[in-house]
Amino acid sequence: MGIVSNIKNDPVGALSPAGKRSVGFQRPTTPLDKALTLLSRYREASIAVVAVLLVIYFQIGSDNQFLTSQFLSVVLRDTGRLGLIAIAEVMLMITGEIDLSVSSVFSLAPYSMVLMANSLGVPLPLAAIISLVMGVAVGVLNGVVTVRFRVPSLITTVGTLFLFQGIVVWINDSQPIVAPIQEPFNALFGQNLFQPDDSLLSWHAVTAFTPFLWTLAAVIVIALVLNRTTFGLHTIATGSNIIGAREIGVRTDRIKIYNFMLAGGLAAFAGIINTVQFSSADPQAGSPFLTLQAIAAAVIGGTSLLGGSGTVVGALIGAFVVATLNNGLVMVGAQATVSDIYLGAAILGAMILNVQVNRLRARRRI
Amino acid sequence: MQNMNTPRLSDDAPVVLEMSHVSKSFGAVTALVDVSVKLRKGEVLALVGDNGAGKSTLIKVLSGYHKPDSGTITSKGKPIRFESPRDARSEGIETVYQDLALIGDLSIYHNMFIGREYRKRMFGMKFLDNQKMRGMAEEYLSTLGINIPNVNSTVDRLSGGQRQCVAVARSIYSAPSVLILDEPLAALGVRESAHVLGLVQKLRREREVSIILIVHNYSQIFEVCDRINFLHSGEIVLDAATSDITEEELTRTVKSGLGRLLRPEDAEIALAAVP
Ligand SMILES: Nc1ncnc2c1ncn2[C@@H]1O[C@H](COP(=O)(O)OP(=O)(O)OP(=O)(O)O)[C@@H](O)[C@H]1O
Ligand SMILES: [Mg+2]
Repeated sequence: MGIVSNIKNDPVGALSPAGKRSVGFQRPTTPLDKALTLLSRYREASIAVVAVLLVIYFQIGSDNQFLTSQFLSVVLRDTGRLGLIAIAEVMLMITGEIDLSVSSVFSLAPYSMVLMANSLGVPLPLAAIISLVMGVAVGVLNGVVTVRFRVPSLITTVGTLFLFQGIVVWINDSQPIVAPIQEPFNALFGQNLFQPDDSLLSWHAVTAFTPFLWTLAAVIVIALVLNRTTFGLHTIATGSNIIGAREIGVRTDRIKIYNFMLAGGLAAFAGIINTVQFSSADPQAGSPFLTLQAIAAAVIGGTSLLGGSGTVVGALIGAFVVATLNNGLVMVGAQATVSDIYLGAAILGAMILNVQVNRLRARRRI
Repeated sequence: MQNMNTPRLSDDAPVVLEMSHVSKSFGAVTALVDVSVKLRKGEVLALVGDNGAGKSTLIKVLSGYHKPDSGTITSKGKPIRFESPRDARSEGIETVYQDLALIGDLSIYHNMFIGREYRKRMFGMKFLDNQKMRGMAEEYLSTLGINIPNVNSTVDRLSGGQRQCVAVARSIYSAPSVLILDEPLAALGVRESAHVLGLVQKLRREREVSIILIVHNYSQIFEVCDRINFLHSGEIVLDAATSDITEEELTRTVKSGLGRLLRPEDAEIALAAVP
């Protein structure tokens, strides 16, 4: 069947050997083929399957306590926090870079916001914008050092991680400070978690989920940018073949710097939401573990560590899986400390599955 | 020697692209030494030379990828400095690089239009017009007669020859005024090579495109080129019209490794040079 349609396309009849098994003509036949095709066409598919299985497992294991608004508001809050950082890493990893300093921005930005509001009387929205700009500025620093001075981003961002984490701890002797509450700013960025007696129709039902809703909005915007704009195209080109991209006129240095800026901004945004949620700015809010979990979420979601491909939707689902494991295991009675063991195993399992599905598919195709 | 359907180029055709006294080195390696090249309007110029002679470096200077250490580039009569290949492309200089400069993770149609994407306005923002690019890519590739299954598939799934076709098609259909082809036929089959060479002639004839062609097969050179520049260890040692030199002389000259033109009367020298 594949061969027949190929001959039609080849008026001279000079079939190249590669043409016989060219992409796009074979239809999957058996159910296994179909499943494999689906799994490999949508990189998000395998992690989505994992997510559904986990939800079912915890729902059963917890006597139907998992899928309640109250518990989900916790899981989705964590998903939102992790997800924002994960999509920042996705964009950078597509360009072939990585940012390990996001957790320091996650601490620094909201801390500066609250300091500005408390001691200088700057209104929260303005203080938040200034803090976002600070996050973006850290991104500029990371980007310029990486691109212009040719320091690998792994090293650049370890440097800025310690630099800015050190600064935020030093500012006020590592004391957390209480964040002011200014409506509607607080309601907009999330106040409290869902309580058992809250009505699903109340305003609070929305504000309880705002951290996640903001992340969802960010994922949609970034997905559009990645897949539908010139910037997204050039981001993929930069990571996929940097020399070729330069030869064809892609400004790869700029593309990388912009993505570092985006990462800094998203990390600052995540930190601000986190602080509003807890009404407190902790100089140690962001730990490098947060970054590593976000990178894990991105990778199990289907983003390549080698650059050139990645998906922000996958990263969001990956963040959900990580948040579900963290919270669900505790809920079904595991020690909080044990959940890392499962998380580690889950990351390895998901990665092996991902690689094997691609290999299996490649072998059956060819 | 001149092919019947290639018009004889007049000597007073304007120079569209010129490099004068360009040198370029990479650390200890000197790739180009005081190189001057002139390209006239509607001319097909062949660049020949051994592996590592500096041919690719030369065309990368003209394409804005390398900045020359010294020397100048003149485009359409005015001196110009290319900061990046982007600048060269906006001057109408299109290049098919030896490594093809294709993005393996992007679809064929995105590769065809990268750097000059079609966009459409939606909600006050500019988004890629994928539908238009897909359609045009399909049309271009089919008029080139290339057997490519599906413009949606990513480039890393294509065969070497198919890739080369995509790279050539991208440059040809970008409406260039200068087209630079670095070994565009290296991976192509007989039929595809003939097709590309045919297109080169057609572009020159119908649109007066000036072309620089790096090919190792000399019979192809005499089929389509007006002039030959021979690059030897980073220096231009021969600049001759194809009508003033025979294929045999060129072959013998390049083979000798002496870096100077050998006429039939120099046969003993050529023999002596070949071990
Ligand atoms: N980016 C680079 N860094 C260092 N050296 C380089 C670089 N590019 C080219 N060279 C060196 O410059 C010289 C000329 O290389 P170039 O690629 O221009 O040769 P070429 O004539 O195109 O050869 P070929 O026919 O094999 O393609 C070689 O000695 C090569 O090693
Ligand atoms: Mg070369």
